[in-house]
Amino acid sequence: MFLERLIKFFASLRLTVVCLALGMVLIFTGTLAQVPLGLYRAQNEFFRSFFVYWQPEHFAWKIPVLPGGYLLGGVLLINLVSAHWQRFSLTRNKAGIWMVHVGLILLLLGQLLTDMLAQESTLHLRVGDARNYSESERAYELAVSDVTDPASTQVVAIPEPLLLKQRAISNPELPFTVRVHDFYANSTLTNNAAAGYEPAPGNVGTNGLWFKSLPRETAMNLRDLPSGIVEIVTPQGTGGSWLVSAYLTQPQAFIWQKRKYELLLRPERFYRPYSLRLEQFKHDVYKGTDVPKNFSSRLILDRPDTGEHREVLIYMNNPLRYAGETFYQASFDEDDGGTILQVVHNPSWVTPYLACLLVGSGLVVEFLSHLVPFLKRRRAV
Amino acid sequence: MNSKFQFHERLMLGGLLGLLALLPAGCDQKGVTVYRVTNGDANATTPSATAPVTPLAPPATADAGGAPQLKWTLPAGWQEKPAGEMRVASFSAPGNNGQLVDISVVPLPGMAGGDLSNVNRWRGQVGLPPVQEADLAKLGEPVTVGDAATLLFDQAGTIDASKAIPGMPSLGAGKIRILAVALHRPDMMWFFKATGDDESVAQQKPNFISFLKSFQFAAADALPAGHPDIGAAADTLPAGHPDMGAMPPGATLPNAGPAPALPGWTVPTGWQAEPPTAMLLAKYSVTEGGPKAEITVSSFPGDVGGLLANVNRWRRQISLPPLDDAGLAQAVTALTTPAGPASLVDITGTDAKTSQPARLVGVVIPLNGQSWFYKLLGDATVVEHQKAGFIQFVQSAKY
Repeated sequence: MFLERLIKFFASLRLTVVCLALGMVLIFTGTLAQVPLGLYRAQNEFFRSFFVYWQPEHFAWKIPVLPGGYLLGGVLLINLVSAHWQRFSLTRNKAGIWMVHVGLILLLLGQLLTDMLAQESTLHLRVGDARNYSESERAYELAVSDVTDPASTQVVAIPEPLLLKQRAISNPELPFTVRVHDFYANSTLTNNAAAGYEPAPGNVGTNGLWFKSLPRETAMNLRDLPSGIVEIVTPQGTGGSWLVSAYLTQPQAFIWQKRKYELLLRPERFYRPYSLRLEQFKHDVYKGTDVPKNFSSRLILDRPDTGEHREVLIYMNNPLRYAGETFYQASFDEDDGGTILQVVHNPSWVTPYLACLLVGSGLVVEFLSHLVPFLKRRRAV
Repeated sequence: MNSKFQFHERLMLGGLLGLLALLPAGCDQKGVTVYRVTNGDANATTPSATAPVTPLAPPATADAGGAPQLKWTLPAGWQEKPAGEMRVASFSAPGNNGQLVDISVVPLPGMAGGDLSNVNRWRGQVGLPPVQEADLAKLGEPVTVGDAATLLFDQAGTIDASKAIPGMPSLGAGKIRILAVALHRPDMMWFFKATGDDESVAQQKPNFISFLKSFQFAAADALPAGHPDIGAAADTLPAGHPDMGAMPPGATLPNAGPAPALPGWTVPTGWQAEPPTAMLLAKYSVTEGGPKAEITVSSFPGDVGGLLANVNRWRRQISLPPLDDAGLAQAVTALTTPAGPASLVDITGTDAKTSQPARLVGVVIPLNGQSWFYKLLGDATVVEHQKAGFIQFVQSAKY
């Protein structure tokens, strides 16, 4: 029967061995690939994918050459559950084995959930600054902001992956369509015409600039700086095109139907219903040396909707955990006048702890389930 | 297999396969997000009050509301098309076998690359090899745009389909021809171009020349009514534009902070503030009779390629050869500022844009993951007089 054969296949130990061997190959090649691709692209192409592809030079198509991390993890998960279900019965004797397996399953699922749900960003504050958003270190977004109302700004944020697909982007909140032309994930600008550069369209602020695509950055301490041309298409036709670029740090404004809009390609922002104000940053050193002793940020947490207003102190190994997020002391400005906090939002942060607890307890239970009868037998002798 | 597990096994397999099927959905990239933020200190964005505003308008056509400020006489058989993103006027003319010739009028600020690079770009578009500066006069045919004399470059060649140029309508493989004219106007270069298959364009050449002759600029470089105001920024660009040169990518992490706010500083007397642009945080000009110098301030994330690349970029602007590391050490002097150590260069050469003698004093200050660029560029005498004030200005900045 087909189903039986399928279950047998998924439950087989051979599949486990093949998956583990392929996993080793994947990790080895993925690690080597970090040299030409950089950490983040290698992670995406090898581990956060179903297949690893190889693209022959000058060809548009790609050939899958290795199963990717998602596929191997998924098959291993099925393999683990199938084997467990097929070989072990739910009895007291097998409680330890059950716990170990459930722990492993939880570990795999937890990793998947972390991959899908976790979000990391940075919050850079100068002393005296307050901010209610953090920014991505690498991901950019095109913010189309309606700034007409002096009290509030409506933001339509278009993430970079959408911009890279180069398509017309509409949203019910926008009375026009944003059409994306020539968007490059990494780019350079110049104001002199040079080989390989394209001219920016002639709108206020960016005419005279030329831009071109660059290979993606591979060094870990560098990031890509995207640029592209976006056209505002109104129901009456084109309203003009703008060069948007990570190099341009001021928004470009235009008026449509008596409302003022701003365009800005900026690091992706994550807004919160509360703000943090940096009161003081301290960089303590051991007396008489330059050796750092402690970095600490004294902040005021202000939450208007609950009236919460209190002081918090973040220092090394003492992050602020608040509203499902953790703020770590990550870095600081060279002049000690500002702090950089890493903000981590990971709803499944507890799963690896639970998984380890389960696996550890399972191993203890399994050990005891053998040790106790053994001791009893010895006593009986 | 034990039959008592069959139902569970089916359930389990179904569940797991379902989970696997969900994986791609879970990994899908997220879409557009919409939110409203209350304006206040906590979400202060970049300073936008000074950002130039473009009134957005429908595409320019000759019959768009209001009188057109560009005038021309349409040759027989030509049809007007809506102006595109860079075109202020666009036409199609009939050619052989139902083919159409595409005619465009595009203004670009500054020199837009210079005549030689333009001609070679057009030649490349029809598959012809580049030429030298000396060949330009031989290749160009004298024509007039309105009353202004210029040269028409008529290039024909063959391209294969794989080299088809994106953005060029009805241009496929085969023999093609481009008629192109670049007209220098104050602060603006106007490009007139007819593109299509070889024979069709050749047929339309007399019409193209008569169209050029009929072309009138009613107001100084004005655009047709309703067109986004391309020229408005040309007043502020390109002379004082922050000359970024070939800016290498990448900013040193983790200082991926918000865009820099404008520092507070003391502006020397006699400096005239000018509107900043998207890439320029501040701009001033100073005039001593006729001679002039400009002061620009910009800031970009990271080290923007490092000191050597930026000094060489400045050197290129005044037509000086690039330096190597050893040369850099001699060319740069250290400058102390309250924000930290800075690097100062003082170089004299010929302005690459105006071909006039020029002196450039530039200061680079690395600060909090940003690089701040201060530049004083202009007439050597004015720069000499302003240098001390410029340095005080740089040192007065409070970030």
